[in-house]
Amino acid sequence: MSVADYTSSRGVRISGLVVLVLAALVGVSVVFFGVSLDDIWVTLRRIFTVGFINRTLVGAAPIALAAIGGLYAEKSGVFNIGLEGFMIFGAITAAATMYGMGGTSPSQPHIWLAIAIAVAFTLVLTVLYAVLLIRYKADQIVAGLAIWFMGLGFAPFAASLLWDTVRSPGLASINHYSIPYLVEIPYVGSIVFSQSPLVVLTLIMVIAAWVFLYRTRYGYWIQAAGDNPKALDTAGIDVNRVRYATVIFSGAMAGLGGAVLLAHAGDFIGTGDTMVDGRGWIAIVAYLFGNYNPIGAALAALLFAGLDMLQIQFQTADITIMGRAISARLMGLAPYVGVIVVLTLWGKTRMPSSVGEPYEKEE
Amino acid sequence: MSDDPGRLRRGLDRAADRMLTASVYERIGIAIGSTTLAILIGLVIVAAVGHDPLQFARDMVVGAFGSERAFSRTLQYTTLFILAGVAVAVAFRAGVFNIGAQGQLIIGGISCVLAIIWVAPFLPTGAFGGVVLIVLGLVVAAVTGGLYGALPGALKAYYGANEIITTIMLNFIAIGLVGWAVDGPLRPDDARSVRTAYLPDNVGFPQLVFENPNFSIVGLLLALAVVVVISVVMTRTSFGYDMVTSGHQEPAATFSGVASKRMIVTTMTVSGMVAGLVGAVFAIMVQGYFIDPSGIGNYGFDAIAVSLLAANNPLGVVPAALLFGALDSSSSYVQINSGVPVQLIDGIVGLVVLFVAAPELFRMIAKRTGLGGDDR
Repeated sequence: MSVADYTSSRGVRISGLVVLVLAALVGVSVVFFGVSLDDIWVTLRRIFTVGFINRTLVGAAPIALAAIGGLYAEKSGVFNIGLEGFMIFGAITAAATMYGMGGTSPSQPHIWLAIAIAVAFTLVLTVLYAVLLIRYKADQIVAGLAIWFMGLGFAPFAASLLWDTVRSPGLASINHYSIPYLVEIPYVGSIVFSQSPLVVLTLIMVIAAWVFLYRTRYGYWIQAAGDNPKALDTAGIDVNRVRYATVIFSGAMAGLGGAVLLAHAGDFIGTGDTMVDGRGWIAIVAYLFGNYNPIGAALAALLFAGLDMLQIQFQTADITIMGRAISARLMGLAPYVGVIVVLTLWGKTRMPSSVGEPYEKEE
Repeated sequence: MSDDPGRLRRGLDRAADRMLTASVYERIGIAIGSTTLAILIGLVIVAAVGHDPLQFARDMVVGAFGSERAFSRTLQYTTLFILAGVAVAVAFRAGVFNIGAQGQLIIGGISCVLAIIWVAPFLPTGAFGGVVLIVLGLVVAAVTGGLYGALPGALKAYYGANEIITTIMLNFIAIGLVGWAVDGPLRPDDARSVRTAYLPDNVGFPQLVFENPNFSIVGLLLALAVVVVISVVMTRTSFGYDMVTSGHQEPAATFSGVASKRMIVTTMTVSGMVAGLVGAVFAIMVQGYFIDPSGIGNYGFDAIAVSLLAANNPLGVVPAALLFGALDSSSSYVQINSGVPVQLIDGIVGLVVLFVAAPELFRMIAKRTGLGGDDR
């Protein structure tokens, strides 16, 4: 089966399952709970509002950015399991820079600068990480976990030093742009012509990542570094150099994801699993689910973000199940359960064949 | 996430093999090197943020061992780290990554508390009833923790779902689910904070040596007994042998008739059972009830560091757990005395793990400096 066949049959399988589940849900509600189709239509319209779509896009952006980084690293043969940690570092750096420049009321340029500095800082961190992984052949799984632990420790540590608590005060979140007149087009207007610029940036990154990976020579080198490092080496390309580039890129992208998360949220939360709250892990699943394709990964990120935003939607739309409100905390578990279901049903993704193996040039 | 047992897996196996074949001295050297380097970096950070690193170092020692209270608190954390570290080590030894000890601990702990509270009214209130309840609680915690560990094991063995990611997701699910339950259906009406009802008065380990309501030597002895049992099972029984070979030499194990898939599930079950016991000991010895699990401390995560530092050897877990117990125990003292935020300790733990992951680093340092050299 060719790759094209594989991806398309995968797409068919996934959409087929979604349709089946939805049909089953509708069937069960109509037959067992006496819900009329009209009610379902009204309820659906209450859930899938413009606000819901916008929140989903905003929620998907950090996951998609980290996922693109992670998939580049893994395509080239290095499993960067530290995405979650780098996202935490990105978020705290952005928060600290914003606070350093503008106190509790940073301006919009401050936010952009903070994002840039967060990316630069995580990039430097990832250089060190890449050296440990590639030069010193560190165990990729364990080192990645270590980055997570360091993020969970050092980010709240930095927050305590700056603000005396592990939470930052309210800083500022990024303004949505708005294009006059066009905004007034129903639905499309308030999604396309009034949007967070960071969502647009994410979209550009996703497309650029796809083009670069599949349409440029360097993209082929990346794929070869993961699938057939020996051939790449024979062709005179330094495998480890390609891997350094992708690992450093992956850390910077995760840092960008963390900074974008912060720029939308407007304050840093360092309690529990921090505000990143598993998004880096979900990013890994997103690119597995998307079969290492940047666009697929972004769609998977949308799916998880949509699941996450449903809880807000259920509350604002005041949707109840058999007369009882649905607990936000339970609804919040949906993405995590979703990840397990996805991994169980589509666990068998085709990994690049030399992931996890340090490459040693033969003398 | 694997179409064969996985190329990734093979890479990991090689890393694990390297760990297994390395000499004992080398492993101890790497553990000490990693810890020292991490603590040195910690001290540099302390100095960089404007505190006195020497004062900080002194406070760490005093906060962990300086008084009977500090020492018993260190042992309290050590007890939990020993159990949690063994739980993680069992899985790592068999080539399975159990990052889910935290979730298994939470599920074990809450079910221990629930079982005791539900059964208590049917038993006499004296010491005998207490012992029966404690045994019941421990058993229930091991069973539920084992089941919660078996789930990702089965998903990995039969559906190829990566256990690293499923166990992490199950951690988030356990925290959310139990957090919801203790704040809702399980929260007594008179409870001012988020918690379950209290355990009955007769449920608790006796105070034999220390006057610390949160620590009993019985808990520590229980943890050490688990270490002995697990270590005997792993090194002296054919079951333990099968477990380790199926993790590291799967073809050989399959050839000798070990069902590797079932072995993965069994390994994760055993690992989860021990992790469940951590939750039970935490509930019975330390808290006496159960709280929102987002606030109970990252024993399951730090246990990964404990296990790695011990080169996944159940016996080595004991000194590693003592180190982490001391670090945790001193952290609050340090914050009060030096004003250095406690979270620094978590960061240092991360650094320890990072350095343990890169033994090559220390080999190279050793070679450059002429320490040890080739014979290490």
